[in-house]
Amino acid sequence: MKKFVVFLLVLTMLFSFNALVAASEEGKLLIWADENRIKVLDTVKDEFEEEYGITVEIQEKAFGDIRDNMAVEAPSGEGPDIIVGAHDWLGNLVSNGLISPIDLGDKKDDFYPVAIDAFSWGEDVYAVPYAIESVGLIYNKDIIPDPPKNFAAFETIVSNVTNEEKEMYGFIMPQPDPYHTFPFMSAAGGYVFGTEDGKLNPNDVGLNNEGAVLGLKKLDSLYEEGSVPFVDYQTMESLFTNGQVGMMLTGPWALPALSEAGINYGFTQLPHIEGQPPKPFVGVQGFMISAFSKNKILAQTFLNEFIANKETMTALYENGSRPPVYLPSAEEAADNPDVAGVLKSASDGVPMPSIPEMASVWEAWSDALELVLTQKQDVKPALDNAVAQINKAIEASQ
Amino acid sequence: MKLWRNNLLHLAKIIILSILDALAVWSATILFTEHKYIFLSVLIIVTVIINFIYLSKKTYALRYILPGTFFMILLVVYPIIYTVYVSFTNYGTGNILTKPQVINQIENRYYLPEDTEGFSFEAYKLPDQKEYAVLLKNEEGKLYLAIEEKVTEVTEADSRFVDQDNDGKIDMIGNYEHLDRAQLFKNLSVLQNLEFSLNDNILKMKSISQFSLYRQQYKYVEAEDKIIDLKNNISYFPQEGSFTSPEGEKLMPGYRTYLGWKNYFTLFTDSRVSGPFLRVFIWTFEWAILSVLTTFVLGLFLAILLNDKTLKFRKIYRVILILPYALPAFISVLIWRGLLNTEVGVINQILNTLSLQSIPWLQSVFWSRFALVVINLWLGFPYMMLISLGSLQSISGELYEAASIDGASAWQRFKFITLPLILVSLGPLLISSFAFNFNNFNVIYLFNEGGPPIVGAQTPAGGTDILISYTYRLSFESGRGADFGLASTVSIIIFMITAVITWFNFKYTGALEEVKENV
Repeated sequence: MKKFVVFLLVLTMLFSFNALVAASEEGKLLIWADENRIKVLDTVKDEFEEEYGITVEIQEKAFGDIRDNMAVEAPSGEGPDIIVGAHDWLGNLVSNGLISPIDLGDKKDDFYPVAIDAFSWGEDVYAVPYAIESVGLIYNKDIIPDPPKNFAAFETIVSNVTNEEKEMYGFIMPQPDPYHTFPFMSAAGGYVFGTEDGKLNPNDVGLNNEGAVLGLKKLDSLYEEGSVPFVDYQTMESLFTNGQVGMMLTGPWALPALSEAGINYGFTQLPHIEGQPPKPFVGVQGFMISAFSKNKILAQTFLNEFIANKETMTALYENGSRPPVYLPSAEEAADNPDVAGVLKSASDGVPMPSIPEMASVWEAWSDALELVLTQKQDVKPALDNAVAQINKAIEASQ
Repeated sequence: MKLWRNNLLHLAKIIILSILDALAVWSATILFTEHKYIFLSVLIIVTVIINFIYLSKKTYALRYILPGTFFMILLVVYPIIYTVYVSFTNYGTGNILTKPQVINQIENRYYLPEDTEGFSFEAYKLPDQKEYAVLLKNEEGKLYLAIEEKVTEVTEADSRFVDQDNDGKIDMIGNYEHLDRAQLFKNLSVLQNLEFSLNDNILKMKSISQFSLYRQQYKYVEAEDKIIDLKNNISYFPQEGSFTSPEGEKLMPGYRTYLGWKNYFTLFTDSRVSGPFLRVFIWTFEWAILSVLTTFVLGLFLAILLNDKTLKFRKIYRVILILPYALPAFISVLIWRGLLNTEVGVINQILNTLSLQSIPWLQSVFWSRFALVVINLWLGFPYMMLISLGSLQSISGELYEAASIDGASAWQRFKFITLPLILVSLGPLLISSFAFNFNNFNVIYLFNEGGPPIVGAQTPAGGTDILISYTYRLSFESGRGADFGLASTVSIIIFMITAVITWFNFKYTGALEEVKENV
């Protein structure tokens, strides 16, 4: 009985919980942000509150939860005004009707164009971007003093350094991993979705075109001759921090662990293929405004005046290790060679497609990579089959 | 003394009930103001039932069932009904809002017409009232005054303008007082929604420093249930949860709507589902049967060993053998995945030092299935051992004694006494273990995500995918992202399959009950 009463009490509380949780209210800003952003937002919040007397509330969410919670809470009126998120959520959030365009005004020119592109949908821009990331070549300077500029030099270095008996590897990347493999496939002309009238066209998949096949064949030859082991991300990272690897392909998120392990590393662009630079996927993070916000102009002003400035953007970079995309902050941050490396790699990259159809791509593509790189199937038929699977899944959803 | 105690209990009951009622009334008012009428009616009904049952003498017996029934409805019946409901809708990425929400959002889309103009502005407000006036200035310096829902062109010499401190800025317009920047922010939530009409355009706030001329792009016509694009003059009609033009162009976002049997139809006709279905279905069965069989055989064997009272250090063995059960499966599966890594895993390294070939644990269909059964054996035998141990204790020693006197061998004693008696009590547990492994998503997904891929497959269904992991991919990692409607349909089908299997199994163990009666 006692337990039951307690249960009922809890239940009654739950029923009335709606009224107690924070939600977008007129004249008050609610922000959902992850741990690293909150450190910076807390200072900005104080300045904003002091200057305009508007309360700003910041709620901590795990980065990945923000998107999923938006779908549930925003439509029922319990969502925030502003969220922190990644550009590849855009398709999901826009097609679900969860975010509103932002008027950046003149500030639009103060950002890297690729960052604005990534957050654009049709003619509208949906975020104030703050950081950019892309994969590149991380090399151990003690093993490889001079990183290769083209694929021929790359192949030579890889086969020279690899020695299975000593457990030394010239090059490692995580597999099967479409995200990390894309630069090899895109260099000579492979793409995920073609563009039509400035929009991505889900019915034009270019993962099995000539360029994509050529790039993957080049990479596969290294796997076939046994110079590159087929390993996952964790294994790659631990081998590299042990000093057993000359070069690895991944992004700036791996760097803090390397400095901790005392590895003398460098970050540079991947080798050119057929004279073309590899085009890695570019990921951009930014601040977006909820379509259910009751304070859109207020939120927009907060973002334009208090986030899109050098001080905040630099602070966001210092607390997040990813290069800033706000030009004044980026110029300063590029003194750091890691940042310069990432920015160089990203400047040739393409925004990772953000349309919801991207969900159909990953599995099929990853399966094809596994079949090819474990020598079960040739490049061309594997990629053809992956594209057929993707087309089928996309057709079924239309 | 007893009377006093009864009175006290009665009093306690009344107090608790009244606290509950007070809470219910309090929540009801909140729910009412928030227009959550479904929750409100549930709350009222539940409160009335609780009061009636605990106060009326006639319903005395019911009070013991009520809590159980209540939570069964809340935690079992409601989710099932909801799943069935969702399986008849298109709920998923692109269709999560309600139709009114979508109409409202689309109607609130504006575009900048060719003759658009930007205005800088100053805002004014009647003291203590939510009445505003806006003084606007366009790029050519022309002044407009938006007041009481009308916009008129004015000159600086307008009689309503008051410049109290002669600084060239207007401090008051009639009784309206000028808002400084901080006050402007405080009133923004109202100001941002102000709309005036000027030359057939809508004058609206664009940013904190600008008003601009807009035009509404979409209009909903309720009588015909369609949305008209006023800019391009196209009509959009509702079709499976999206407003769609005759050319097939869809307006985003879509809304949740009833689809009838469409999801079920898709499931049975879509070649992406039917293609690999048989292969996946057979492996699911093999997997569930092998999982139960291997864990049960090993568990029972170890239980019989541990049950031998002459064995020394029995407690230590038992603790060691239970360890795999005590570790979270999430972690141990990932550890196994590392151990079995083809290139750098410890197990292949051991094989290599023994001059044996590396085994492609994660890349070959046979070996990854084999590895899964072994991992599941490691995870699952302690449970089988525990329940067998308990069941063995309940078998009377006299039976074995009698059997020995009759000259039965150890194997005969096991076959004719231990096994039948143990199956009577463990039968239902084996069935539930079968149903659990039939849907054992965790082990399958954590070990190899259903992989390895199969050459030439029509759809990404891997070699170790079971029904639940395969349909998870289909509903959440394919098409346009999450498709909750299809996912619910699939879970209902899987529920039916397991229900049928369980029913057959219960009939079978029902037969075992008779064994018990005969013994």
